[in-house]
Amino acid sequence: MTVIFGLAALLAFLGGVGVVTSRRTLYAALSLVLNMVALAVLFLLLDAQFLAAVQIIVYAGAVMVLFVFIIALLAPGAEERVRPLELRVLLGGLAAVVFTVVVGRLTLNGITVGPNGQLHGGLGPFNPVTVNAHGQVQTLGEQLFTTFLLPFEVTSVLLLVAAVGAVYLSRRRRPGEEE
Amino acid sequence: MSPAATSVLLAVVVALVKGILIIFVLATTFAYLTLAERKISARIQLRFGPNRVGPFGFLQPAADAVKLFLKEKAAPEGRDHFLYLLAPALAAAAALFAFATIPVNQTICIGGTGGAGPLSASCPGGYPLHWDLAHLNVGLLFILAVTSLGVYAIFLGGWASNSKYSLLGALRSSAQLISYEMAVSFALVGPILLAGSLNLEAIVGQQHSLWFVFLQPLGFLLYFTAGLAETNRLPFDLPEAEAELVAGYHTEYAGMRFGLFFMAEYINMITVSSIATVMFLGGWMAPLWFLPNWLGPLWFGAKVGLLLFIMIWVRWTFPRLRYDRLMQFGWKVLLPLGLANILVTAVFVAVR
Repeated sequence: MTVIFGLAALLAFLGGVGVVTSRRTLYAALSLVLNMVALAVLFLLLDAQFLAAVQIIVYAGAVMVLFVFIIALLAPGAEERVRPLELRVLLGGLAAVVFTVVVGRLTLNGITVGPNGQLHGGLGPFNPVTVNAHGQVQTLGEQLFTTFLLPFEVTSVLLLVAAVGAVYLSRRRRPGEEE
Repeated sequence: MSPAATSVLLAVVVALVKGILIIFVLATTFAYLTLAERKISARIQLRFGPNRVGPFGFLQPAADAVKLFLKEKAAPEGRDHFLYLLAPALAAAAALFAFATIPVNQTICIGGTGGAGPLSASCPGGYPLHWDLAHLNVGLLFILAVTSLGVYAIFLGGWASNSKYSLLGALRSSAQLISYEMAVSFALVGPILLAGSLNLEAIVGQQHSLWFVFLQPLGFLLYFTAGLAETNRLPFDLPEAEAELVAGYHTEYAGMRFGLFFMAEYINMITVSSIATVMFLGGWMAPLWFLPNWLGPLWFGAKVGLLLFIMIWVRWTFPRLRYDRLMQFGWKVLLPLGLANILVTAVFVAVR
């Protein structure tokens, strides 16, 4: 387990670094794919099989395919080098630090560190034991359509709006253009 | 050695043996599938087919393999070196990996009480031998996830070749795969609703009295049609329409690099047939009531073989579709039919 975790975490890290440092856009996108697949392995280790499968199907299999497609077709040139102390670099760094602190704080919620560095924490209502007893997909589906029904529906409306907008933009004719 | 370490070691050894066995069986089936394709096509066209190497041409695959390995690995100028080499390996890896969760027999309890149950649930004191490499609860989603990564191999292979035929073939192929992936998933929702599970072994277990093909005839037809498109078989083999595109995305590949793409295509055929067998044809269940059920893998293989034969038969029977018709067929026929099938099945399951 620890070995697999180490490998997957290393790959995810390398993928993340690759996204930022690759000079060629296609390689940056492919690094992101590597990062996502490695994340799916981490989900598997956390006993979240459904999440792992969906992570690959949706992100690596669908979203990133379109990214790679468009990058390869538009063939953008190499990225321009940014100077290290530019404003956007500083802002980006600040955002990264804030994000790390917030996510770290949320992750450590309810977890205390023992004297020898071991972690203690209580299990919530949705822990691996209860979720696996009820079925992962079943639990997720029930929660999605009861507790989180409103956010779920709002998200689907958002997607619908995006789809309608995309169709409108691609069908719009310039004045004088024949149908 | 502690019990925990022993069980980890056992799991690793079992997984290794299963993995090697799967690769061996798939590679052999692939080799003889190419021979079967040539033999059957020859019969359909009133020819003999390969019959020089060994009796009835049975050693032809070996000769083909030697030829592929020894051929010069010609590669185009101006290619993207890394991606050009990565693409065939990725294609073969995705094709082989997809087979990991397909159960070819029911779980067998070695030692302990409980006996051979239909599901993995009970095997106290013994070792439950699963007949798949990874016994996932979401086995079906895993297969869909891994096969959806095959698009990268095809697209990157065509793009990295720095050739317009390859790029056009890759574009067509990726667009086709993405479009028909929807139809494949929709067609598979029917059996999932009926079985109430994503575990492939549980889905087969639900079919012990009646195979799902009789409850989901439309779903089966939709899946098989979309599966033909997913494996780039005629009448949907637009990506490699030789009259327009030379050989599509693998035009610039030679030797064993081409061989890997070739292998990936045939293994994908086997995977599609296996999924159809598991989801619709009752997996390892005996086809007739008086036949013994303990011959599970044999029945599984026979059903997969039958579907493979139909795939080859279709190839030499139907002409190729035009590309715009192909897209229309996928989006305007298969997809709405799949949705309607889901709706009817869901109502049926809800009122049952």
